[in-house]
Amino acid sequence: MNDFFIPAVGAQFGLLLPYLIVAVGGLLVMLVDSFVKTVKKDHLSFLTLFILIGGILVQILTRSQGGVVLGGMLLVDDYSWFFNSLFMGVGVMTTIFATGSFDRDGVYRPEFYPLILFSILGMMVLSGANDLLTLFLGLETMSLAVYVLVGGVRGNVRSSEAGFKYLILGGFSSAFLLMGLAFLYGFAGGTGFDAIAAAMRSDQPDVLLASFGSGLVLIGLGFKVAMVPFHMWTPDVYEGAPSYITGFMATAVKAAGFAVLVRFVLLMQPQVAFTWFPVLTVLTVLTMTLGNLVALAQSNIKRMLAWSSIAHAGYLMLGVLTLISPAVGGSEMMLRSTEIGNAAGSAILFYLLAYTLMNLTAFGIINILGNRPGEDGEDINRFAGLYKKNPIAAAAMTVALLSLAGIPPMVGFMGKFYLFASVVRAGLIPLAVIGVINSLISVYYYLRVMVMMYMKEPEEDSYSGTEWVSVVTSGVLAILVIYIGVQPDAFHRLAEAIFRQINF
Amino acid sequence: MSFINDHILTLVTFVPLVGSLALWTVIKRAEFARVFALVVALVDFVLSLHLWFRFDAGRGDDQFVERVPWLLNGEVSYHMGMDGISLVLAMLTTFLGPLVILSTWQAVRERVPSFMACILFLQAAMLGTFFARDMLLFYVFWEAMLIPMYFIIGIWGGQRRIYAAVKFFIFTMVGSVFMLVGILYLYFQAGGMGLTDFMNLQIGHDAQLWLFAAFFLAFAIKVPVFPLHTWLPDAHVQAPTAGSVILAGVLLKMGTYGMLRFAMPLFPEGVAAFAPAISILAVIGIIYGALVAMVQPDVKKLVAYSSVSHLGFVVLGLFSLTPLGVAGGIFQMLAHGLSTGALFLLVGMIYERRHTREISEFGGLAHKMPVYAVFFMIATLASVGLPIMAGFIGEFMILFGTFNSETLEHGRLFAILAATGVVLGAIYMLWMYQRVFLGKLSNAKNEGLTDLSLREVVVLLPIVVFIFWLGVQPSLILNRVEASVERVLAPLTAAVAEAQGTAPSHTGILLPDGQRAEIGTAFGSDHQKFLIRDTESQR
Repeated sequence: MNDFFIPAVGAQFGLLLPYLIVAVGGLLVMLVDSFVKTVKKDHLSFLTLFILIGGILVQILTRSQGGVVLGGMLLVDDYSWFFNSLFMGVGVMTTIFATGSFDRDGVYRPEFYPLILFSILGMMVLSGANDLLTLFLGLETMSLAVYVLVGGVRGNVRSSEAGFKYLILGGFSSAFLLMGLAFLYGFAGGTGFDAIAAAMRSDQPDVLLASFGSGLVLIGLGFKVAMVPFHMWTPDVYEGAPSYITGFMATAVKAAGFAVLVRFVLLMQPQVAFTWFPVLTVLTVLTMTLGNLVALAQSNIKRMLAWSSIAHAGYLMLGVLTLISPAVGGSEMMLRSTEIGNAAGSAILFYLLAYTLMNLTAFGIINILGNRPGEDGEDINRFAGLYKKNPIAAAAMTVALLSLAGIPPMVGFMGKFYLFASVVRAGLIPLAVIGVINSLISVYYYLRVMVMMYMKEPEEDSYSGTEWVSVVTSGVLAILVIYIGVQPDAFHRLAEAIFRQINF
Repeated sequence: MSFINDHILTLVTFVPLVGSLALWTVIKRAEFARVFALVVALVDFVLSLHLWFRFDAGRGDDQFVERVPWLLNGEVSYHMGMDGISLVLAMLTTFLGPLVILSTWQAVRERVPSFMACILFLQAAMLGTFFARDMLLFYVFWEAMLIPMYFIIGIWGGQRRIYAAVKFFIFTMVGSVFMLVGILYLYFQAGGMGLTDFMNLQIGHDAQLWLFAAFFLAFAIKVPVFPLHTWLPDAHVQAPTAGSVILAGVLLKMGTYGMLRFAMPLFPEGVAAFAPAISILAVIGIIYGALVAMVQPDVKKLVAYSSVSHLGFVVLGLFSLTPLGVAGGIFQMLAHGLSTGALFLLVGMIYERRHTREISEFGGLAHKMPVYAVFFMIATLASVGLPIMAGFIGEFMILFGTFNSETLEHGRLFAILAATGVVLGAIYMLWMYQRVFLGKLSNAKNEGLTDLSLREVVVLLPIVVFIFWLGVQPSLILNRVEASVERVLAPLTAAVAEAQGTAPSHTGILLPDGQRAEIGTAFGSDHQKFLIRDTESQR
């Protein structure tokens, strides 16, 4: 108990600083909003941006330090460093987009600012979770804030419906997760990841108990990352939520889900992993294929991107599968070599970065399109002739869509390259073939939006979009999508170094 | 000077890209965009002349090599190089570039800066594809080509342009993604993405068959090989003139180039297994393309189907695995690029005037447009393959090479069947010419037609000059590709022969009198001796 509190306080404070900044910042924003009478939304927006950018800077400055804090509950390492920076970066973009949307609509949602900070805090806890309790705590902190963000547009039925649906299904998935955590606790006799890893490595692990527990946890996390068959909420929630929140969910929430999922599957030992490997293989193939096939039939771009985000979760699951895919060594099945694990893990991290960039670009554009208050760019037909009305938005959207489709020289292609390369390297060639066939299918529906934007003439009710800060932000993101697509090496090396550290 | 020598390939490739970016971002005025694009394309052509004159024709390996590590600790590198095969195709690209831009001076009136940006971006991607010596780099350029072409067809195309553009994009993607899996597989066998890494690899028999199939599919769709050609007529008919010219002139050659550069040398056992089937498809393509072209009511569609037929010759020549056939295939790529490019330009010119391409709408045009008729006649005859024109040399070498092929069973039969394609080609082209240009001026709408303007003559004249120049002096090209072809072919022929179970045969060719000749004398400096005696006497 003593080393929990006394000697390490100074060091722990340093390590926890980014967490504290976001947590205290969220409270501060809430208090300022409540008690300062003269506050305007721009003030809150700047304060939030200030907090998040400050958090990112502190993260960058304290990268070299790492360690276990809060008595082993939370792990501060390069992996959490990467994800925390990613979450806060997405938070910055989302704040910009949201403020732009408020400006356009003349609607002011002060609760957005503290909630976005709290949900980012939850994600940060999740990415550093080293204990089943912190895992659950982070997941719920994140989810509760996002439930409100999704459903909080007062007077908008679709938003309320989406929020309610997400809440119910989210609660459902939490129940699975909690049950799984309970089984794992029973299996390991402790809640720490170290205890679970030790129990898994023991001579006679109770494989049944461990498999059952981790299976339930996989279901709970599968909900969060929208893996088939736990994806049903995704299209409705993505459609109903305001676009800036949809963008936030499609990027940060999904990345958080994968952050903890990857950490979790690394805990599994061969016997446990191989129980779920065939099941996960089938689910991955279904996730990719169903996501892409249903996306073909969508006429609402948010629904389309919702199904596409399911498909992308499938691609990412390919990486997760590669992490736990069996190799035959000697007479027994065992986990893949660390080298292939590193390749797959770094590919997942890189893909998450790529996916975040390109999806945020797309949602940034969707967020600002719309001619009437409360209306985002939704119907694909109304993108007609966007090149004329807003050429920068059309160009940024094109870059995002080409990248999502995996066309070089965009970052999406490089992400797929690293990912499929690791899959092929592990010998899972049929899965890679299914993956590329899927990205082929996806080309068609991404092209449809481009057809609308460039090859049709604008109509009476086509979107125009006038919110320039968001357009420029999306434009900058689009340039990043191309730049990292051409020069991905530095980022991939970073991802590899980060993953090497946690892949034990 | 050495800076230029060391970076010339990068310069040639990326000058159009920089121009494209400028057009996309800064330039807004249509007039300026046209001039700017033309200047950029001309600069690129002048730069590429450096390649042409500094190229060492005696060497078959890559020259002007640039190599910078790119990804994964240098396993993937920015590796550019150029041998004779790449040289002639790159020259074709930079040569057609300014002409294409000039041809759109009046045809494209909407969103001119974007159009020019697409053309230049496409040119950069095509050049990069020819120069890339790293498979991932190649793939990046190969896929990047799709984006501008998609927009060119989809924005500036005809009535059904969107259908054609999406079909073009998806068809090409289908092949490419399987090739990507093949590339990734090889990458982990070889531990590097360089073409040389792949070349040094020992690949098992079954793997070779699968990989060859994956690569061949990607390239065959691009060529296109029958029965994968269905995207081509749509794309050609809907594309604007400039798009058609680039498509027929250069883009289709990507497919045959890819076969020769990648699919065939990497997987000789695949070649051995599939060459008969592919040759049959090529012959079907030759005859089918010609027959379908014959019944087309639309001139542009006719020319499009003639491409299917002509590219069938190229594929047949490549898979004959004889130096003569392969060099003939390369020559035919150039000849087809020139003659079909000219034909598409000419069709575009009449379309600008009459807004129709129906053969039945025309007749007796020679009376109103004599200069146009002469140019059209030259392009027609070049396409048909009349001696002293470029088309003849290529077709002749291909047929000759196929006839004498030792690895290709029934080579003689294929050559004879393919030769009927030449006859059919003469029929459909000349028949079309007769219906459009000869006879009385029957349609009153054609009364007001004006003959070619100076700009249009300037566009056509260089192509016509080269059609004749290559026709009478094919060594201009053949000298430069000879060493490279030998370098690609010698190990390939040996490996194929071994895979077929026959003794590795000498790589020389069978002369008509039954003697063997070394490749050099077969079609090098002395090839005119027995190939084209009639032109020999003229020189």
